[in-house]
Amino acid sequence: MLASLLFGDYRQKVLARLLLHPEQSYHVREIARLTGTSAGTLHKELARLAQAGVLTREAIGNQVRYGANRRCPIYPELAGILRKTAGLADVLTEALSTLRERLTLAVVFGSVARGDEGPGSDVDVLLVGDIGFAEVVRAFHEAQSSIGREINPVVLSSAEFHDKLKCGDTFLAAILGGKKIFLIGNEHEFGKPAGNPAPGSA
Amino acid sequence: MSLENLLAIQRLVRHEAGHAVVLKLIAAAERNLADARVTSISAENRFDAAYKAILQCAMAALAARGYRTSTSQPGHHQTAIQTLPLTLAVDSGTVIVLDALRKQRNLTDYSGDGISDALLAECIAQAESLLRHARATLGGP
Repeated sequence: MLASLLFGDYRQKVLARLLLHPEQSYHVREIARLTGTSAGTLHKELARLAQAGVLTREAIGNQVRYGANRRCPIYPELAGILRKTAGLADVLTEALSTLRERLTLAVVFGSVARGDEGPGSDVDVLLVGDIGFAEVVRAFHEAQSSIGREINPVVLSSAEFHDKLKCGDTFLAAILGGKKIFLIGNEHEFGKPAGNPAPGSA
Repeated sequence: MSLENLLAIQRLVRHEAGHAVVLKLIAAAERNLADARVTSISAENRFDAAYKAILQCAMAALAARGYRTSTSQPGHHQTAIQTLPLTLAVDSGTVIVLDALRKQRNLTDYSGDGISDALLAECIAQAESLLRHARATLGGP
């Protein structure tokens, strides 16, 4: 909600991707693919941000690459805002990087996913895989201070997740029917036929 | 923050309870942990019993040092868990997990959502480990 109040949809997505990965530069098509936007509309937006000094613009041959301009006077503040808003999914995905192979699904649900979070809202995250609650809590611990919110993980084994889906568990049904931000896995995980557990769940 | 500082801001109160009270709390934690292993009751109640055992270990350790938490202050469970590094030299990684269990208990109490297998297993494992440590440090039945 905060991010869309401050920036338009495209600007939000572009800034979150570029400012939270300041070590990288990207060409326009790459940015379009990563942010789910169209390259045509992005050209103008990127040029304006570069002109204002928020992004760097570099022409290599016939390719133009954009990246975060760390020398922009408001770079730290802007990156901080994006980390806490539009870039939240990136921060959470990064926090889960060491556990990734053991997770079949990680999805943000609740107020943050809906975009109607308040100042004190937690980030609710459902995680499915062969993983312990303590490991997840430790993995998310530092991310909590970087996003400025507490993270509330719900950890289910693959078998438990599929059992609950099969018997129409109300908690999972609410997540399934509500808005979600996928960190690992996709909508498909919710629709797997019963008795066909996710790979690696045995 | 030291125990003395927590006393100064009234998170803790002085409580010269004596060793009998310490042993009584350890024994209560033992009973709760045993209840948490009963598989014929709901995961919620098993989780609650294991969580209670954790809290009673923290209370026993505080009592051994002549304190208890101030129950008139909000967040006294949180205070009890946060004193564990001071009373039983519990490491910060464990305190992070114990505090997360405390939060889960609050959330599930009010939402009516169930307790997952992973959450219950963690709560019991943490209670077992803390009780073992508390018994070794404080003495026990």
